[in-house]
Amino acid sequence: MTEFRSTPFDRRQLLKAAALTPFAGLALSGCAAKPAESAAVNKTVTVTSYGGSYNDQLTQTILDPFSKQSGIQTTLLANTSLAALKAQVQSGDVQWDLVEITAPEYEVAVAEGLLEKFDYDIISDKGLPGYAKAEYGIKYLSFLFVMAWDQKVISDAQAPKDWAQFFDQGKYNTKRSVYNQLSDSSVLEAALLADGVPFDQVYPLDVDRALRVLGQHPGKDRLLYHAANQEPIQQLTSGEVSLSTSFNNRINAARNDGAKLNFSAENAVLAGDYFVVPKGAKNKEAAFKLMNFMSNDAEAGAAFDKVTNLTLANTPALSKLPKEIADTLPTSPRLADKILVRDDKWWSQNLKKTEQQFKLWQAS
Amino acid sequence: MSNATLERTRPRGRGAPPSADAPRRRRSGWWLLLAPILAFDVVLFLTPLGKLVGASFADNAYQRVLEDPLVVRALVNTLTISLASTVVTVVLGYIIAMVLWRAGTVTRVILFAVVLLPFWTGILVKNFAWAVLLQDNGMVNAFLQGIGLTGAPIPLLHNRFAVIVGMVHCLLPYAVFPIFSSLASIDDRLGLAARSLGAREGAVFRRITLPLSMPGISAAGLLVFIISTGFFITPVVMGGPGDMMIANQIDYYARQLTDFSGAAALAVILTVMVSILVAVYQRVLKAGGQHEDN
Repeated sequence: MTEFRSTPFDRRQLLKAAALTPFAGLALSGCAAKPAESAAVNKTVTVTSYGGSYNDQLTQTILDPFSKQSGIQTTLLANTSLAALKAQVQSGDVQWDLVEITAPEYEVAVAEGLLEKFDYDIISDKGLPGYAKAEYGIKYLSFLFVMAWDQKVISDAQAPKDWAQFFDQGKYNTKRSVYNQLSDSSVLEAALLADGVPFDQVYPLDVDRALRVLGQHPGKDRLLYHAANQEPIQQLTSGEVSLSTSFNNRINAARNDGAKLNFSAENAVLAGDYFVVPKGAKNKEAAFKLMNFMSNDAEAGAAFDKVTNLTLANTPALSKLPKEIADTLPTSPRLADKILVRDDKWWSQNLKKTEQQFKLWQAS
Repeated sequence: MSNATLERTRPRGRGAPPSADAPRRRRSGWWLLLAPILAFDVVLFLTPLGKLVGASFADNAYQRVLEDPLVVRALVNTLTISLASTVVTVVLGYIIAMVLWRAGTVTRVILFAVVLLPFWTGILVKNFAWAVLLQDNGMVNAFLQGIGLTGAPIPLLHNRFAVIVGMVHCLLPYAVFPIFSSLASIDDRLGLAARSLGAREGAVFRRITLPLSMPGISAAGLLVFIISTGFFITPVVMGGPGDMMIANQIDYYARQLTDFSGAAALAVILTVMVSILVAVYQRVLKAGGQHEDN
């Protein structure tokens, strides 16, 4: 207590100082942020994708080799969403540099003016397949929307060959899990295919008919919904359902981890995602450099295709792949007449309306 | 440390007698003590709230969301699910609080731990654990089929029942503690006196314990109801598509439709609706209390 007497502060002054600390903090953070940021521009790039096993694969095959080659550090986040991108652009504080969004979301983002134009002086388009190059992004990834099953309950021999069998309650007395949104799932297309609509007549989508079919086979009480990509894996492995829609890479990743699941690439729906740069992104050039690497580096592209079973928009990579791998890719010519190609144009014009109708149907 | 010691050890500045000076200084600077919480509230709560309200008036948002049948449904769901969860939570919470109140020290410590454990567990973990228990091939259905109560699995998950189970589990501590504290403040001698005059246990509960614990019950009811209206993850994990609440609808507007003004309007509607209900509730409680006094 004797030392206390000699200190310059008394208790009241101390409290005053403590009371004002938050203001000081605010003032300081305002001053400090700017110079630190400008010094590091284009030395790092923040990438946002969907998370789970996919993010690990992306880091291992693309981002790490890119960092090693270019010296640009990468940060990979798992919570991509068009809404967050829009909020960042509108607030002027853009945290993300390269963002994965679905094809219909790409069209919406372009229409709302949220994206930077891609600089094809930095990105060489030599490696890009024709479908991939766009003004405000690259459709960098192709995947398959597939029917998947739990091998503990349904053997591969008994597995559904088409969507009609997948939804047939007489054949499989189980619940089925389907994605609850339509932005990158094709459950309405699946319903129309189940009803016998040929591939070339699926679009323009007859939404009423698709919902009517789903309501009859399997019926609303036999449908469960998942809201995230990793959820069907959990629902299938826990035995909650024996059939689910999913994506080919997710099932493959689960199989590599030892899960007794399988899927059929036949009658799948081929769809794709874009990488885009939000308007006002801080490390735009670094993002374009990464896109250039991703689209043209044959080694990295081949490693990605091999690990994920997805097709990266990187033509040089294809020649590096063994035939048995190339044959399993979503864009393999072997599959061309056995799958439906999703109509991005139709979806970009009808997404919100259809999404709303689907939600209402689910809830009623 | 006593006041006298504090007084003695306080540093004296510039020879002025501290006792004469202190009260005035205390009066002039007191508001500074509020500054941290005020700064916090203004920067992190009031400013965003103001922006939110501002955003909600853009693009005809109120008319747009109120014409959406999904929104109307979600509003009705929010009220009915919250009300049901609140009633179940308060009843269960009351029973637990009674047991805690009557239990010996050791039992009480153990029971408190049991009540608090889920409080410290993440809501996702709790909800997924329930999902595992309640699914078609889960433990509950296996047990029911095992003892021959049912031949086929009963749908226990992805419906209204499951949502309420999940919510009640998360909400219980918020009911137990206010009720327990009002029970603990009841003078034990009141019960003894009543019994010595021949009152049975039922009468003691009805005429002494219950009325005296009413403040705890109403506080618990209010707290639980307000928290209920904001539930988001439980309807997603445990409900079906027909059980979505207003928070899910806000998420849908913001993330899927990227309609920020619509989402803001929904948030304002929820806040206003809950505020009105709370005001009515408190008015009714007050009126009830006065009536009893007369």
